[in-house]
Formats: sequence, structure tokens, C-alpha cells
Amino acid sequence: MAEPTLAEKLEILADGAKYDVSCASSGSSRKGKGGIGNAAQCGICHSWTADGRCVSLLKILLTNVCIYDCAYCVNRRSNDIRRVMLTPAEVAELTIGFYRRNAIEGLFLSTGVIRNPDYTMELLIEATRQLREEYRFNGYIHVKVVPGADLALVERLGRHADRVSINMELPSRESLALLAPDKSRESIVGPMKRVGELIVQTREERKVSRKMPPFAPAGQSTQLIVGASGETDLQIISLAAGLYGRLSLKRVYYSAFISVNRDERLPAVVGTPPLAREHRLYQADWLMRYYGFAAGELLDEERPNLDLSLDPKAGWALRNLHLFPVEVNRADYEALLRVPGIGVRSAQRIVLARRGSHLSLDDLPRLGVVMKRARYFITARGRFAADLTPDAAGLRLRLTEKPLRRERWSQPSLFDGGAGMDIRSTITGEL
Amino acid sequence: MILRYDGTFAGFLTAVALARERGVEPEAIIDQQPEQQALFAAVEEVATDRQRAAAFYGLLRRTLTPGALHTFRLAFRAAEPGKELLLFHFLQLGVVVGQQLDGMLAHERVVPVWKLARAVGREAHRYKGLVRFQHLDGDIWYAAIEPEHRILPLVAPHFADRFADQRWIIHDPRRGEAIIFDPSRRTWTDAELEVTGPLQLSNGERLFRDLWQRYFDRLAIEERRNPELQRQHLPLKHRRHLPEFDR
Ligand code: SF4
Repeated sequence: MAEPTLAEKLEILADGAKYDVSCASSGSSRKGKGGIGNAAQCGICHSWTADGRCVSLLKILLTNVCIYDCAYCVNRRSNDIRRVMLTPAEVAELTIGFYRRNAIEGLFLSTGVIRNPDYTMELLIEATRQLREEYRFNGYIHVKVVPGADLALVERLGRHADRVSINMELPSRESLALLAPDKSRESIVGPMKRVGELIVQTREERKVSRKMPPFAPAGQSTQLIVGASGETDLQIISLAAGLYGRLSLKRVYYSAFISVNRDERLPAVVGTPPLAREHRLYQADWLMRYYGFAAGELLDEERPNLDLSLDPKAGWALRNLHLFPVEVNRADYEALLRVPGIGVRSAQRIVLARRGSHLSLDDLPRLGVVMKRARYFITARGRFAADLTPDAAGLRLRLTEKPLRRERWSQPSLFDGGAGMDIRSTITGEL
Repeated sequence: MILRYDGTFAGFLTAVALARERGVEPEAIIDQQPEQQALFAAVEEVATDRQRAAAFYGLLRRTLTPGALHTFRLAFRAAEPGKELLLFHFLQLGVVVGQQLDGMLAHERVVPVWKLARAVGREAHRYKGLVRFQHLDGDIWYAAIEPEHRILPLVAPHFADRFADQRWIIHDPRRGEAIIFDPSRRTWTDAELEVTGPLQLSNGERLFRDLWQRYFDRLAIEERRNPELQRQHLPLKHRRHLPEFDR
């Protein structure tokens, strides 16, 4: 077969990387300091694809060659597909070319495993090194760590990257053994721990001396495939809570399983992937990260799966009606946050606005409160906005999102919002 | 009384300062021809007075919080008929209550200005991603955008930081305005600009245009296809100057 052109390689390697959902380019802020580029604290979308997902990074594989054979993956060894590889120089050149046109916010570089994990890591390091050192590129770089790689290489890679991630993919040891037999839980968690240590350590060192090169300043993330194996939402959410808590990951992404291989170990998926479930998981995740909910408040052994017709915050409120209604002029910020229909921004605005005046029901919509949902859970100046106080069953009916339009099942939260940022609720799953 | 100013920020500040000095409430502050019925009222031309504008701006800086000032500056960029009077009332209130203005989010004089500011701020943020440069012969990076609001000066600092080593132009052809960045001096300037002939693209530009289009086509996941969602995020009006939609 003829040597592939750069364009052909780009097409094939974009194809191989597109299932990875972590595309946010945020959480890192860097001024241009000579050379080219900077990083914006909140994500910037540059375009949207035909499936409605935001394009912010050049998301490609270095190579789709792979010595491993994961059941769910297009690039697995046993698939008969055309294999190509970009040189590190080509990766850098493409990134800079698109960046200068302002088509992207930076690079997201993933890869198959070529020869062995360490060899692959050397190539990734070289690509990012060229960008940082030769092009003096200050834009965003997110790069994958190859499971099983030498920890010294992990450290070198993270010195060039804004964010690193190691995909867990499967929520349990058993599923991993079944579907990704070449990757052990240890080969994933080991580097994850090391990355976590280095992030913390470097942050401390940089407080003392700015000369110390940063290490993955935007933190690390991982991805879990949902629906390829039998775990419950409770298992998934608890795992995520552990990753946030113990390993201080910045983000966990959930990816509805899409069947790309014929494989009897995988569930038969007909029609669209479980996007509704993915969406609810993002909402639950959001509640844990920004609203102070614990996994156990959202799900328990008796109800181990998220309700597909009710958002998880409304579900929690219905199980805790004794805590409502709350008076918006008095309730503390944390209690406001837990009201369905009040998001982070509206809660902040309420707290701010009530310093100036005693809020009435009419003021609330102007502060961004979604009264359709909130009316059953709040009072303002002692007044209740709902016509009646239905019981839990009646309320549930009113809060159910009846046939949700398909476009609502979008991957939420393409921005890692920090407090006070303009987090766009339509795509963030903010409740 | 109707005040007419030249459409600039300094001009508007002059007009507001003038009205305050005289203690009058203008019926309107406009930057265009007055409409027919308004002709019966007296229209007074305000000559932009930079010194007076700067003095008044200084007063605002001492009186308002940075947040309120920012809101005001953003809202001024809105393409909204009648925005000037809204801003006038906002400032009147602000000068009286000072720092308290921040807490008055639900006040009738604050709400409309704040809404405008949000719309403008959001559009400016969007355009950080939607400005798409083309590399022209002569090593100039050119981008055309057609935003609803006049956001050029709002996005300029972002691109000045990001592309500090490129000679770039961002052009709003509908308004005939542009900002031009000079990397040797690391500053940008406003300019009037009209593009008459076809752009002279560099050789590399064609290659990268092709690469980008091919890349973009590969990104969508078939099983997740959802053109409505795409349209919701990226309305057709935004696509004109994006190479991935222009074939
Ligand atoms: S290691 Fe990665 S690229 Fe290789 S088969 Fe597994 S998931 Fe695919």
C-alpha cells in the first residue's frame, strides 16, 4: 500500500481518538510569555460537530498501532484496520498550524501502545517537548499516560502537559480483567497515584520557587465507559467519589458505551448508546463536585441506579421533603444550593442581592431561579409560590421530565467551572 | 432634550457628563439620525470632549465597584436601540448609591443593563473561539467576524496575548471596523477597513484549510448524530466565516 499522506494519517488518527470524551481545555491559565499561545481559565469552544459536541482541542492519536486487545476498542490488535503513525514532529506541526488559525485551544494527544508502554511514552514526551521547547507553545496540552509506563517517564511527560489522564474505562477490577485483559488495575492506578503525588508536591515547591517547572497544573482526569459492563450507578458514582477524594482527580468523564466491535463479551447494543444514563451520571457528578452532595445521598443499596426521568437533585429533594421549604432571605448558601431550580450562580446572586433588599417572589426569576422547579421548595418573605403543597408522589409527577428531547442528552460540562465563572447551564448539567 | 453623540465611548461619557452638569433628564441619547417624531424635540449635538469624559470616568471609578464598572462597559457595547438611556439611569443610580449598586441586582435600573452586559460578555467569550484566522501572502493573519454587538475591543486583549508574535487583523466587515495588531509594538489599534478584492491566501493556508476540513468531518460520532444540538450551539449565522462550514 502507498505511504499514507499527512491528511490520511490525520483522518485515521482523528477517527481513533474521537470516542474519548474528555475535551475540556480549562483549569489552566497561562499568559502568553513570548512564543505563541496562552491558556484561558475557562474552556473555549471553537466549533461544534454534527453530533453537537464542542471542538476545542486537536484530538488525535499518535498512532493507532496497538499491542493490546481491549474488547471495546477500535484499535485493538485483533482488528483488521489500516495502521498509521504520526512522527512527534508532525504532531507538533499540525498543532501549531491549527493553533495559529485559532481553530483549536490546544492538543489532546492519546495513543495506542506501540512496542511497549515505555517506548510509546518516549514518543509522546518528544512530541510535547518539541511543542513547548522548540515552538515555545504556551497553549493547552492534555496527554494520555500509557498504563504500565515507567513512573520516571510519567513525571517527564507531566512537566510538559497541562493535564494528564489515564483512562480507567471500566468501573471494576472484574470488568477490566474481562474486557481489557492486558491492562491491570495496578497498571492504571499506580501511575494515577504517582501523578497525584507529583501534582501536590510540585504545587508546594512552586510556592517556594517559581523556577520549578509546573506539573500538570490543570490536574488529572479519567474516563469511565458506561454500559459495557454490569456495574450499577451507585458503584460508578462511589468510584468517582473515591477518585475525587483519595486521588484528588479533577474530573471523571462518563462515556456511553458505543459498540464498535463484534465481541461476545460485550453487551449487544441496539440503536443509540445509553445517553440518558450518561447524562444523569454527569448531573450526579456535578452535584458532588459543586453542590456538596455525597454519593450516598444520591444513591444507596436499595436504589442503586439513577432515575432516568428525574434529575438527581429533584430526586434527593423529594426524599427529604422535611428539609423544605427554605426561606430564601434566610437560608444559608449550602441550603439554597440544594433547592431544585437554584444553581450555583442563582444561589450566589441570591446571597448577594438579599444584602441590598428583602427578596420577594418576583425578584427570584430575575436572579436566575427556575421557578417551575423551585416553587415547591422555597418561600420568600414567608410566601409560598406554589398553588398547593402536593405530596411527594404528586410532586414527583410535576418534576418528572416527560419525554425529554433528545438534544438534552448532550455530554454536559465541557467547561470545568470554577466558582464565579459563567457556567452555561444548558450544557453543564447544572441543576 | 435629545442628545446626539458620535457613537464612541468617550462621546457617550461626554453626553452623560453634560446632562448631569445641567441637571437635566434627556429624553433620548442617540448616535444616529433621530426618528421622525422625535424631530419635534430639540436635538443637541454633543461634541466629544476627551478631557471631560476622562474626568467623568474617573468619578465613576471612584464611586462604583470594578464589577459594576465592567457591567457598564460591556453593556455599552450592545447593539440595542435605547441602551444609552438605560445606561444613563444606571449611572445616575450608581453615582448616588456607589458600592451598594452591586447588591441591587433586582433593581429596575440595574436589571436591563446587567442583561445587556451578560449578552455582550457571552458573545465576546464565544468569539474567542469563533475568530478564525487565515494566513495571507505577506505574512498577515486575517479574520472576519460579524458579531451582533460591537465586541472587537473586548476580544482584542485575548488575541494580543495569545498571538503576540503574529501580525493579525480582526475585521467586522458589516460595520467596516477592524483591530490591527502590531507584534513589534505589541499593541493593537482601531481602524476602518474595507476588503475589496479576493484575499491572497498563502500556500500553507490551502493545505491547512484542507487538513482542518478533513479533520472536522471525522470528529462526529455517527451514533450520536444530532444536528439540532449542533445548531443550538452554533447557529447558522455564526458559520459564515468558519472554514469547516464553508466549502
Ligand atoms: S490499550 Fe488503548 S488503544 Fe490499545 S486496545 Fe486497549 S484501549 Fe485500544
